[in-house]
Amino acid sequence: MRFHSEILGLPKGTETLLSDLVHSRTGIYFDASKIDLLMDKLSPLVVRRGFNSFLDYYYLLKYDDTAPVEWGNVMNALSVGETYFWRESDQIRVLTQSIVPRWLAAHPGQTLRIWSAACASGEEPLSIALALHEAGWFDRASIEIHASDGSSTAIDKAKAGVYRERSFRSLSPQRRARYFLPEGPKTWRVLPELHSKVHFSVANLMSEAEIAPLAVADVIFCRNVFIYFSEASIARTVRLFSRYMPAEGYLFVGTAESLLRLTSDFVLKDIDNAFIYEKESHVH
Amino acid sequence: MISKFVGVFTTDRNLVIQIWDATLTRLTGIPSDNASGRPLLHVIPDLEIRGLTRYFHHVLEVGVVEVLAPAFHRYLIPCAPQTPSPRFDKMRQRVIIAPLQEDSRIAGLIVTIEDVTQRLDHEQDIAGELNRQSPEIPELMGALDDRNWRVRLDAVREMSKLAAPDAIAALLRSVRDNHRNFGLLNSALNVLRLTDVDTHSTLIEFLKGPDQDLRIQAALSLGEQRDVRAIPALLEATRDQNVNVVYHSIEALGKLRAVEAVDRLMEFAESKDFFLAFPAIEALGEIGHTGVSFRIIPFLQDEMLREPAARALSRIGDEFAVEALIGILNDRNAPAELIARSLADLHDRYEAKYQEGSYIVGLYRSTIKPTGVQNLIDALSTAEPENLRPLVWLLGRMDSPAATRALTWRLGSEELRSEILDALVRHGSTVTELLVEQLKADDPDTRGAAVTALGRIRDKRAIPELTRLLGTDPDLTIPIIAALTFIRDPAAMDPLFSLLGTTDAAVRRAAVSALNALGVPEMVNRVIPLLKDPNPGVREAAVCIAGYFGYPECIETVFSLCSDSEANVRRAAIEQIAYLEDKRAATVLADALSGDVPVVRAAAAAAMSHLEPSSVSTRLIAALADEDPWVRYFTARSLAKHRIVESASELYQLAQFDKFQQVRISAFEALCRIDKALSASVATSFRASGDPDLQKAASSALISGNGAS
Repeated sequence: MRFHSEILGLPKGTETLLSDLVHSRTGIYFDASKIDLLMDKLSPLVVRRGFNSFLDYYYLLKYDDTAPVEWGNVMNALSVGETYFWRESDQIRVLTQSIVPRWLAAHPGQTLRIWSAACASGEEPLSIALALHEAGWFDRASIEIHASDGSSTAIDKAKAGVYRERSFRSLSPQRRARYFLPEGPKTWRVLPELHSKVHFSVANLMSEAEIAPLAVADVIFCRNVFIYFSEASIARTVRLFSRYMPAEGYLFVGTAESLLRLTSDFVLKDIDNAFIYEKESHVH
Repeated sequence: MISKFVGVFTTDRNLVIQIWDATLTRLTGIPSDNASGRPLLHVIPDLEIRGLTRYFHHVLEVGVVEVLAPAFHRYLIPCAPQTPSPRFDKMRQRVIIAPLQEDSRIAGLIVTIEDVTQRLDHEQDIAGELNRQSPEIPELMGALDDRNWRVRLDAVREMSKLAAPDAIAALLRSVRDNHRNFGLLNSALNVLRLTDVDTHSTLIEFLKGPDQDLRIQAALSLGEQRDVRAIPALLEATRDQNVNVVYHSIEALGKLRAVEAVDRLMEFAESKDFFLAFPAIEALGEIGHTGVSFRIIPFLQDEMLREPAARALSRIGDEFAVEALIGILNDRNAPAELIARSLADLHDRYEAKYQEGSYIVGLYRSTIKPTGVQNLIDALSTAEPENLRPLVWLLGRMDSPAATRALTWRLGSEELRSEILDALVRHGSTVTELLVEQLKADDPDTRGAAVTALGRIRDKRAIPELTRLLGTDPDLTIPIIAALTFIRDPAAMDPLFSLLGTTDAAVRRAAVSALNALGVPEMVNRVIPLLKDPNPGVREAAVCIAGYFGYPECIETVFSLCSDSEANVRRAAIEQIAYLEDKRAATVLADALSGDVPVVRAAAAAAMSHLEPSSVSTRLIAALADEDPWVRYFTARSLAKHRIVESASELYQLAQFDKFQQVRISAFEALCRIDKALSASVATSFRASGDPDLQKAASSALISGNGAS
């Protein structure tokens, strides 16, 4: 049932055109059961641009000179901001305890690049930075952490580094006290020393030009985003990762996500009780 | 049966040969030991030079099937023909390279090599014969030894139908020895079938053969092949001395939906054999013969067989099965997830088949006890994700405050939200207080779902809490306005008016819609001063309300606002005056169309569709030359509505040559209503354009019969 489009007086129609367009540009797939959700998310944007129909908005997104700016608004509207620190922390543990030492031993003196490819408001890359800091890796090795999201609003939040209570649901109060300063009622600001370890930018996973400079990372975290993608979009994204990642790169996806049916460029490995995809050595 | 013509080999992903069957050894002279475990390029060294390697890589990468035709590629493995040929010194081979799927990934390749030398000889003999006689074909066809060439052609066909037992046996053994996924074997068998190999007969031979491992794999495979010809042999195999063969034959009979096996399967079920009763009951469920439902119900009391029995009953059970399942659910420590899933599936089956789902729900509600409800609630917090939906489905049909409360707590779950919302709305105002509690939830999704549910329930008691939340969370503002619109109570009027000054156009429009839906007569007195409010957002919103109701007291002000200093206010006023049936409207709109900023010009062009055509046609035609694409776009639409014939040539120019596709489409759609000949010409170029939007427009016009035919 559509709440937004009804109250905003937008007639039905153009659902398939819009959902296909959104799918092709963002990778996010809204199946028939979620089409109302898509239209509800887009409805305010349609009205803000002064239109009275989704079709007009479709043409705007497709042909208007201002479309690039409007796509930014679409990404912001569709972004799923729900994330939190220390989410699926087993994988982060494996990163610091197994993968980083293994990689540094194989590449002495080189810089390890880590990319959080769908970082939302920054909780994931900051969790990675926090874990690497606690393991003492920043003092012993050169490590870069890059983080991006398709939503500029999300990246603005990540750059601001201020978080509400729900972001801390899995982080211990001790860690919160150690790495965050109270900012206001139920809000905390990440310490600049930790915040500065992460380089934030806006990048759409469907845009090869935007992700190519980031995907050259040795370790990619792309967690809890493929659940919103179609299989075709996942396969395309993983193919791009594979194209730009160095050999022996590691790809972390969410525990509910599987790439087994979609790629042969990566093999699933059980590393210290966490499942991680490793780039096949024959893939160039 | 002897395989003379089709040899098979398989490779892994790195093109290292895994299986090299005996037929291939005979065809090529390369022994299996010299091939298995070696890279394909070592075994066929000239593969690369002949440019054939790419076909193998293509199949591995893309997953398609490649066929190397003998006429073009001649052969894959150079070797002499099996029998001397008058034409060919090397064996002519038809080669199929197909992916081997394992867990939906490509695990390697299966390659079939068919010796077609003899067939080609025969075909060329026949072709030669026909060619010689072709000048007088009608007469000579009768004179030709008709029977003779048909027999020969049949022989040619038969050659390709011979089984490949060597290859199939090798594949079956590979699955067994290498613990490979069974899907791999099936994908291999499917490929063999592509080559017209009779896999069925070969598998039946193995099922009856002396090798018990092959019997097991054959039973498994026959179940997967979905070929009912296997049923008699599988039934016979349920008497095999090897219990594993029996087990897999039972499973296969289930997959083949073998109704003739029901009695035999019931024997296994009723024997309560630890190993065989379980698959037998599962198979009975798969077969779907409802007549045995009453014989399966007693198995619910047996803890070992409860699970397959519950699953089988969901497929074949009736009202007695519902009572039996609820009986289990009412026990302490009942397997609530299992029973909930069975009941939900049984309900869905009744609904789909007989449209009698409500009958099942009635049975369920009348027989469940508080312990049963509590079992369902307890399971909500521990259930596997795939079992949550049936639990929610059952709880949503309960008249139990505890069940409703449990569902309300789950509102934040995206996967279950729609189901829970439907369940809560069904309960109506009895759940209002529970939902109002959830408006304070920490999780924004839960708050949003509670707002939606309260709107759908339409209980006025929710208004104070909903209006209190307005402005606290931007993401909830429009849902709350929507909920207030549904509830439709004057108590929401003040909070809604207070939103008209917001900077967000979407919120303003939602608030205007909600106020328009309220339609309280005294609103006019609230609107009049707002038309002169210093905040342009408020003026814009007030114009929309005044225009919607056509308040006579406001008309002059609305017209004056067509010259407001703010473009958005002017646009709103322009949109409204078209509905006021005032003679000044045409002039005001024409002035706006020719002299205002693009956004107002576009609004004026669109608004002109509501006026008399004669009063706006000239201005609209002129506006087709506007510099702004959106003005041209909306102008074309208004011209379409008025069917202004004089605009045809200008519309044609836009449809063919405008820089912006949306303008071309809009102009084309207008042209379709005005000039069929011109629109047909445009449609032709749209179809040839390669642009999906243009092509779709051309097709839509064709389907709707609006010109362009």
